[in-house]
Amino acid sequence: MGKYPTENIGDLRRLAARIRLNALQMVAIQGFGYLGQALSAGDIYAALFGSGALRPRHDRFIVSPGHYIVVLYAVAAELGLIDPAELSSYGLDGALLEAISTERTPFVDLSCGSLGQGLSGAIGFALASRFARDDRRVFAFLSDGEMEEGQVWEAAMFAAHHKLSNLVAVIDVNNSQVDGTVTSVTTIEPIAAKWQAFGWRTEEVDGHDVGAVLRALKTRQADKPLVVIAHTDILGRLKSFPPTVDGHFIKLDASLQEVVIRELENFDA
Amino acid sequence: MRNPPYEIVLKPYGKALVDLALRREDVICLGADLTRQTETDLFRDQIPDRFINVGMAEANMIGIAGGLARAGHTVFVNSFGVFCTRRCYDQIAMSIAYPNLNVKIVGFMPGVSSPGGPSHQAIDDIALMRALPNFTVVDLTDAREIAQAVDAVADHPGPVYLRLKRGEIPVIFDDDHHFSLHEAKVLVAGTEVCIVASGMMLPAALVAAQELKHHGVSAAVVSAPVIKPLDRRTILDAAKGARLVITAENHSIVGGLGSAVAEALAEAGVGVPMRRIGLRDVFAESGSREFLFDKYGLGVRDIVRAAWKEVGEGRPEPQVKEIQTAPGAYAPV
Repeated sequence: MGKYPTENIGDLRRLAARIRLNALQMVAIQGFGYLGQALSAGDIYAALFGSGALRPRHDRFIVSPGHYIVVLYAVAAELGLIDPAELSSYGLDGALLEAISTERTPFVDLSCGSLGQGLSGAIGFALASRFARDDRRVFAFLSDGEMEEGQVWEAAMFAAHHKLSNLVAVIDVNNSQVDGTVTSVTTIEPIAAKWQAFGWRTEEVDGHDVGAVLRALKTRQADKPLVVIAHTDILGRLKSFPPTVDGHFIKLDASLQEVVIRELENFDA
Repeated sequence: MRNPPYEIVLKPYGKALVDLALRREDVICLGADLTRQTETDLFRDQIPDRFINVGMAEANMIGIAGGLARAGHTVFVNSFGVFCTRRCYDQIAMSIAYPNLNVKIVGFMPGVSSPGGPSHQAIDDIALMRALPNFTVVDLTDAREIAQAVDAVADHPGPVYLRLKRGEIPVIFDDDHHFSLHEAKVLVAGTEVCIVASGMMLPAALVAAQELKHHGVSAAVVSAPVIKPLDRRTILDAAKGARLVITAENHSIVGGLGSAVAEALAEAGVGVPMRRIGLRDVFAESGSREFLFDKYGLGVRDIVRAAWKEVGEGRPEPQVKEIQTAPGAYAPV
C-alpha cells in the first residue's frame, strides 16, 4: 500500500478499519476466534506499522500474547509484509497462518502462546542490539491479562535496571481475559504507577486514538524503557455486537458478520 | 584412566568458558545470583561486558537467553540444576527447546550431592530435559570431560543441558581422553555384568567393576555422559551376552539414564535383566554427600550388591569399601 508509512491520522484510522475487516474475514472462516483482540488492538497496530514508528524488518517486533497474532496477520497483509492470499486459509489445517502463533509464524521476531514470556525475549533482542551497537528499537506488544504472570515483572525490573532505552512495551488494556473481565479476576490497576515504580517511563493513552498512540510511541528518553499503556474496548467500540458477547473468543454467525462488516465498511475516518 | 583417590581441580568449567569466550565474541554468560557457585566469577571478572547477572529470576533469564540466541548469540545460562530446569520448565520448552536455539543451560549440584535438601537437589532434571525435543542432555563429573564439553556444546548448534558437579572436581581420565557428544565409551571390558554410568556415579561404577573382578565376576563399565542422544550402539554391544545390565546415576531412576538404557534395550529386543541404581522415586533430605549417597543406595556397595544378587550364585556378598574423599572435599551450599 503506497500511502504508508504516513502520519496522516485519517489514513491510519482507515488502516485500523482494514485491520479489523481482515480479522473479521479470517475469523469468519471458522465462525469463531480471536476477533476481539483485533477489535481492541487495531488502532495500536495501525499506529505502530502504518506510521513508520516501527521500521519493518529493521526494528524488532514481539507479540507476547500469541492469541493476538491475527492482528499482525491483518496489518502485515494490508502493508504487503506477508502475502494477503494467506489470510483466506487462516486457522485451517495445514495453514501458514495459525490461530495462535507458532515458530512457523511469518514476519514476527518472537511470539509466545504461553503468556507472560514475550517481554523477556524482547529484552534479549534489546541487549543484542546494545552489543551490536545498532539503532534497532524493540517493540514488545503485551496484553493486560499477562500482567498477572510474575515473569512480566521480573522482566520489567531487569529492563529498567539495565536502562534499555531501545525497548518499548505496548500494552493493550482491554480488560478481557478468558474467565471474564480482568478487573473481576484480579486488580491490576494502578498499571501506570506499577511500571513507574519499576523504573519505566509511562505513556497512558486512549488506545483507540491513533494520534495519541503515535505521539506516545515517538517519545524517547535516553536512560529508560518506555511503556505505552493503551486503554481499549475489547469490541473496538463497535455498536453491532450484543452486550453479552464474549470478547476474548467471539462467535460469529452469518447475520452478526453482516452487520459488523457493514459497520466497519461505513466507518468514517 | 586413573584410580581413586583422584586429583582434585577447581573451576574447570569456569576456565573453559572464559577460554571459549575469549576466542568467540558471540558467547554471552547469564547467571542468576550464583556466580561463584557456578564458576562464572572468572567470566564476570575477565569479560564483564558479556556477563549479565539477571538476579533471582530464572524464568526471565531463560527468556532473555532465547532473545539473545535469536539475535545470533551463543548463550550459556548458569544456575543450580533445580533452578534452571524445573523452576522455569515452560520457559525452557517455549523459549529455547521449541525454537531449537543455541542456548546451553548449565546446572550445577546434581542429585543428592547437595546438602540443601529437596529444594536444592536436582533429582529429576535429566528426566525433564530429556523430555524436551531438540535438547541434548549431558551429565559430567570429570574435569577433562567438563573442559572439552564446553567447546563441544558451543560448537553444537542447538540447546544443551549440561549437568555438572559442583566444587572440587575429580580428574578421572588421562590427558589423552577425548569427550564426544555422540559417544558412550567402554572404559572396562567385561562379559557377565554391564554397568552403564554417568556423572558422579562413574567413579563408583569403576570401583565396583574392580571389586567384582576381584571376586571372580567379569564386569564391563560403559561411561554414558550423553544421556540424549544416547549412544545406543555402544551400549547395546556391551549389554548383549551379559547376564545383567546395571545403570548408575545420581538422579531419580525415573526418566534418566536408567530409563534411557531400558528403552534402548527393550526396543532392540536385548532380553537382559536390568537393575537401576539411583533415587528410587523418593525425595531425599538434608545431609552430607557421603550420608545421602549411602542412605539412598548410590555407593560402590549398592552396585556390587545388585550384581551379586544376579550372578553371585548364592555365595556370600563381597564386603566392599566406598571411595574415600578428604573431609570437606565436596563443597557445601
